[in-house]
Amino acid sequence: MSSYDVTVIGAGAIGTSVAYHLVEKGFSVALLDHGDIAHGSSSHCDAVALICDKKPGLDTQMGAASIAHYVELSKIFSYDFEFDQKGCLYVCETESEYEVARKYAQTQAADGYDMNMIDAKQLQDMEPFLAKDLMGGIWTPGDAAMSPYKVCFAFTQEARKKGLKVYTYCTIQEIRLDEKNAVQAIITDKGTIQTKKIVNCAGAWAPDIGKLVGIDIPIQPRKGMNLISEKTERISWHKILEFGYMLSKFEDIQFKRNVSPLVEEYNVAFNIEYTKADNILLGGYRGFRGFDIRSEWEAMKAIAERGLRFFPVLSGINCIRSYAGVRPFVKDHLPIVSEVESIPGFYIAAGHEGDGICLSPITGKLMAQMIAGEPTDFDISKLRFSRFDEPRPVQEALV
Amino acid sequence: MYIMAIEDIGYLTMNELTCRQKLPDEARYRKGPVAVIECVQEIPCNPCEAACPKNAIFVGEPITNLPVLDEDACIGCGICIAKCSGLAIFVVDKSDKDSTGTAKVSFPYEFYPLPRKGDRVKGVSRAGEIVCDAVVLSVVNPKSYDHTPVITIEVPVLWADEVRNLKAESSQAESSQADSSEGESIEAENAEAENTEAESSEAQNTEAESSEAQNAGDDMIVCRCEEVTLGEIRQAIREGARDVTGVKRRVRAGMGLCQGRTCEKMVQQILCQELGLAPDQVGRSSARPPVRPITFGKLAKGEVE
Repeated sequence: MSSYDVTVIGAGAIGTSVAYHLVEKGFSVALLDHGDIAHGSSSHCDAVALICDKKPGLDTQMGAASIAHYVELSKIFSYDFEFDQKGCLYVCETESEYEVARKYAQTQAADGYDMNMIDAKQLQDMEPFLAKDLMGGIWTPGDAAMSPYKVCFAFTQEARKKGLKVYTYCTIQEIRLDEKNAVQAIITDKGTIQTKKIVNCAGAWAPDIGKLVGIDIPIQPRKGMNLISEKTERISWHKILEFGYMLSKFEDIQFKRNVSPLVEEYNVAFNIEYTKADNILLGGYRGFRGFDIRSEWEAMKAIAERGLRFFPVLSGINCIRSYAGVRPFVKDHLPIVSEVESIPGFYIAAGHEGDGICLSPITGKLMAQMIAGEPTDFDISKLRFSRFDEPRPVQEALV
Repeated sequence: MYIMAIEDIGYLTMNELTCRQKLPDEARYRKGPVAVIECVQEIPCNPCEAACPKNAIFVGEPITNLPVLDEDACIGCGICIAKCSGLAIFVVDKSDKDSTGTAKVSFPYEFYPLPRKGDRVKGVSRAGEIVCDAVVLSVVNPKSYDHTPVITIEVPVLWADEVRNLKAESSQAESSQADSSEGESIEAENAEAENTEAESSEAQNTEAESSEAQNAGDDMIVCRCEEVTLGEIRQAIREGARDVTGVKRRVRAGMGLCQGRTCEKMVQQILCQELGLAPDQVGRSSARPPVRPITFGKLAKGEVE
C-alpha cells in the first residue's frame, strides 16, 4: 500500500503548484489526475498573469504576489516556462471608458501598484499597429505572460526532483473517510492511497470530487475561446486588452460598449498577445455552455471582428485554429482556497475562473502554508469555503 | 528514339541509361571512383552544380538543363550524392585496385534504421530487386548532408552498374517500452521500489545497450511546421505523453500551419511503437475550425470558400 502525507487531485496550474509547494515544505505528496498533466483548462486558455484586470483589494494583492513569485520561480526553475514580463496595456475606446479607467488606475496606484495612465500618442508609440482613434489606456509594466501548460510541466518536474509522485491517467473511484469523517484513503483504478490530507485542485471538475465526500462545491464551467494566428512578424509588443474586458469578466459592472450585435451577443472582448512561438493569440469570448468546448463559428467571427477594430493589420494575417476550454467560475469571482471544516483533512484550491494561471504560484504557496499550520502570507479568510453557507457578501466595486 | 522508361515504370532501365550515355566508359571506371548522374527529367534544379568542389558538374542556363559531368575533373568524392534532391546521383568505383573482383557503390539512403559499417546486406537494383550480396563499407551522415545519409557498399564488380540500393538482411523490431512511471499501478510501483540496488544497476546496463538502437533516427524531423524531431517526440513520451495531444503540448508537434495534417499519423505511429499501444488508444488532436488557414479579415466577414 502507498501512503502519502498529502494527495493533490488535479494536475493543472493550481494542483501542480500546490504539489510543488508542499514537497518544498517536506511533505510526502502524490499528484493524481484522471488524464495527462495540464490536459484540462490549463491547456485551453490564454496565459497571462495580470494585476490590471483585478479588482482593487485582495484580488490585486494576490495577483501582484503571484507575479512576484513567478519572477522568482522563473529564475530558480530549470524548466523554461517562457515567462515574459512584457507589461500590459488596457486600451480605452471612448472618453467615458478612459474616465473610468483613470479612476481605477488611481485607486490601484494609491494602493502602491505600478499602474499609469497613458495618452493616445504614448499608446501609438508603444503599439504602432493599434487603431489610430483610441483614447489611451492603462499601462501596467509588471504584468506578465507565460506558456500555461509549461507552467504545469515546470512545477511537476521541479517537484519530482524533491520526491513528488505523479499518477496520471488515474481515476478516483472513492474517497474513504474514517469514523470521525476525516480523510483516510483514496481508492483509484490503479490502487489505494492512504492519506490524511487531500487538496481538491480539480478546477471546473472540483464539484465531482466534492461529491465523493458529500459536499456541494459551487463551481460552474464557464467557456472561454480564443483564435490562433499563423506565425507572423511582430505586430504587438505587450499584452493588450480592451477596457470593455472588465465588462465581459465582471457582469456586475454595468458598462455599455458601442459594438455590433454579434460582439454583444457573444460577450466578446478584444485581447491580444504574441507568444514565444511567434503566433498571436486573439481573444476572447466567455459564455456558459456547460462542458461543451466546441468552437462556435459565430463566436469566432465576433472575435475576429473585434480584433480588427483594434488591430486593422490582422485583416491580412491567417487564423489557423480556434480553441476553447472551461474556466472554473464562482459567482463572487473569488477562488476557494480553504479547508473544509466538516471533513478534517479535506482542502479545496479551485474556482479561479480565468485567473488560474495568474494565481497558480500564490495559491500553491498559501495552501502549503495552510496545510503546514503556518500563518498565511496575508489574510485569505474571504476565500474560505464556508462563505457559501453565509449570507452573500457585498461585492467589491471596481472603482 | 528510345522509350522514357522512368515515366512508365518508375525507374531507369540499363537500355535507357546506355542510350542516354549516363554511365562512364570502362576507361574512366578503371581510373577510380566517379559520379554517375542518373538525371533524365528536365526539372528546374541545380544544387549538384554548386555542390561540386571540383566544378565538374555543369547545368548552366536554363536551369532545366540536365547536368553534364566532366568525368576527368570528377574525383568521386560523393558530395553531390547528398545534395541531389532527386536522389539521382551515385558514385561507382570499379577500379578494383586490390583485385578482389569487387566494386564500391555509394548512394543516398533515406530510410531508418541506418545500417552499420560491416553489416552484411543485399544489393538492390534500380527496380528494387535483390540481385547480390553486399557489405556496408561506410555510412556517412554529417549535418551538412541534411538528413540524406550516404552509404557505400561493396558488391561483385559485375553488379556495379545495377546495384543502387540495399536491403538489410533482417529488420529489427524497434518497439521499446517508455520508462515513465505514468500509468503504472500504484502497488506495482511500490513493490518495484523495494528491489535491490543490484537489480537496478543491471537494468541500467541493459538500458545502455539498447539506448543506441532507441536513438536511431532521433534527428529526423517529424513535424515540419514546427521542426520537431523524432528524438524530441520520444523524449516527450518518456516524460509522460500518452496521446497525440500530450506530445503536442510538450514539443509543439502539430501546432503549426498545417495543424498536424502532415505529421499526426506519424506521431500516432511513434506513440504506438514506443508505448506498445493500438492506434485507437493514442487518440487524435481535437478537430478545430478553421479547416484551412483563413485571414482574420475574411473570418470577420464570414467569407468562407
